[in-house]
Amino acid sequence: MRSLLFVTFVLVLAPNVVSAAPDPDALLKKVFDNYRANTSTGTVSMVIHRPDWERSMTFKSWTRGDDDAIVRFLAPAKDAGNATLKSARGTWVFNPKINQVIKLPASMMAQSWMGSDFSYNDLAKSTEILNDYTHRLTTTDIAGGHTVWTIECTPKAGAAVVWGKVVLKLRDDDVMVEQTYYDQDGKPARHMTADRVGDIAGRSYPLVMTMHPLDAPGSWTRIETIAASFNIAVPDSLFTLSSLQNPRE
Amino acid sequence: MLFALAWRNLWRQPRRTLLSLTSIVFTGALLVFLLSFQIGVYGQMKESALKLFDGYAQMQAPGYSEDPDLRRSLIDAAGLKSVALAVPGVNVAAMRVNAFAILSHGERSFGVAIVGVDPTSEPYVSKLASSVALGRYLDSTDSDAIVVGHALARNLKVAVGDRLTLLGSGMDGSVAADVLRVVGIYNSGIPELDRSIAEIPLSRAQETFSLGPRVTTIALAGKTLPTFQNAVPALGGISRARGLILKEWTDLEPEVRDSITLKYVTSAMLYVTLVVVVTFIILNTLLMSVLERTREFGVLMAMGMRPALIGRMVWLELVMLAMTGAILAILIGGALALYFEAHGIYFGSLGKMMAQYGLPSRLYPDFSASSALIGPGALFLAITLGGIVPYFHVRRLEAATAMRAA
Repeated sequence: MRSLLFVTFVLVLAPNVVSAAPDPDALLKKVFDNYRANTSTGTVSMVIHRPDWERSMTFKSWTRGDDDAIVRFLAPAKDAGNATLKSARGTWVFNPKINQVIKLPASMMAQSWMGSDFSYNDLAKSTEILNDYTHRLTTTDIAGGHTVWTIECTPKAGAAVVWGKVVLKLRDDDVMVEQTYYDQDGKPARHMTADRVGDIAGRSYPLVMTMHPLDAPGSWTRIETIAASFNIAVPDSLFTLSSLQNPRE
Repeated sequence: MLFALAWRNLWRQPRRTLLSLTSIVFTGALLVFLLSFQIGVYGQMKESALKLFDGYAQMQAPGYSEDPDLRRSLIDAAGLKSVALAVPGVNVAAMRVNAFAILSHGERSFGVAIVGVDPTSEPYVSKLASSVALGRYLDSTDSDAIVVGHALARNLKVAVGDRLTLLGSGMDGSVAADVLRVVGIYNSGIPELDRSIAEIPLSRAQETFSLGPRVTTIALAGKTLPTFQNAVPALGGISRARGLILKEWTDLEPEVRDSITLKYVTSAMLYVTLVVVVTFIILNTLLMSVLERTREFGVLMAMGMRPALIGRMVWLELVMLAMTGAILAILIGGALALYFEAHGIYFGSLGKMMAQYGLPSRLYPDFSASSALIGPGALFLAITLGGIVPYFHVRRLEAATAMRAA
């Protein structure tokens, strides 16, 4: 309802809104608030597609605030129980087979997660893009009944980030519909699209997202949110090493 | 007749001839020795670089070196190994699994290359086995053992006997995790290796990374690199027939190949300069002697000797001089090279710098047909060709004017 009102508002008053040039920082903040909320939990299936094979898995995730996230595998059976915890202090991985927690080197955060085209940062819904980049609104378009803002993000001086530039497309219902990552040479390296945006737990949400590494044609990873809830009560103990090792849920 | 005449003419001026001969012999011998030394050192450089870890050649799946994905692995490794071993010149074929993983000890974690090796054949391909400084290398009874480089051990703060956790992903994308016990710490002298390569038993690696019987690489070696190179065409054929790729030493160590090529090019320029300078010195001497002998040639012509024949005689003198010089150069330079080939040249104070190139502090020249013939051959050829100048000079002479020349 809220988005419908907003669309009407945009349609009627579009010229005014466009000229009002919304603050890109605020737009992005709203998108992340919608995506992560204060706390969120979700069940997600992931398909890793390669030209000659495909693999799918299911995991459950919890996030809290900007820093905390925990991801736990449900399927396939071989990987069930593997879990990743990210907090402000670092990132740890738990493996049930060896029953050990392993701290990941910071350099691994930008690396592929579980062989997918997503990095640990992506999976933890990292807010790196909010904090380590400066944002500039470049274009405002109308597409599919929504206003779509294109925001160009360039790394802040001295920020330890891997990308040279990130271009985001945000929709007026606070959903990120496209992300393009450019390497340090300004060449597009990977591209993410929200393939299906729908209502879940009372908010607009990118239900299906696909990441395409641009240097590997025919490879992609798709994640589909099966269930989600937001602003739920999460015990503090959830985002701790002991909970990583001994799941209570 | 002409030969005898030319030979006698040469020794009519023994001092001049000896001087010319000395410069040819000295330059030629120097070229023989330097080239032998260069070939020898580069041979040692190649072999030490390759023996450290790579082996003389590797069989891989196509695309593996560009994108080392575990899926690009060899299925019938055992069969391939026995076929490769049957090729003459191949002494060892070591199956390997190369994978990347995080090794972790307490709060410390580092991303490294995990190499699953067959402890019975690996020591014959790679020197890492013999550079274990603490503890021991893997043996065939090991299962959860790991050997790490000393820089990695320092970074992880582990000692022999400690347990390490390994985390990576298997061939099927599943989580690969393992707990391993450090049995040995090696010190190869190459910081890059000591920091980044850890070895575990092959079967353990295949299990941990869900590879089944697959391996990613077969590392090959022979007695010496030159003898092994004779096996390369056959090995290439075997690889192609199975849809695999044979990585030759030049592919495995492109930096070594490039630096050797560069050094050959720069020293070739030096050698060419040397040959050109000496050739001009000899020609100069000869032309002087020819000018000096104008009256003699006039007399010969007056006696009925055709100018062309005189020209040929003068040219023959030069050829004989060059030939004698070249032969002596090969003998002296070769003797020098062979002596040091047997005893080595010790570079004590430079040892540390040379270790960076994987070189021992004692270097050995390698005297061969090519190192013997290239330098003196080039000298001989240059002088022989240059001899055309006095030849034409003599041909232009006329008896009457030549006899009256000063």
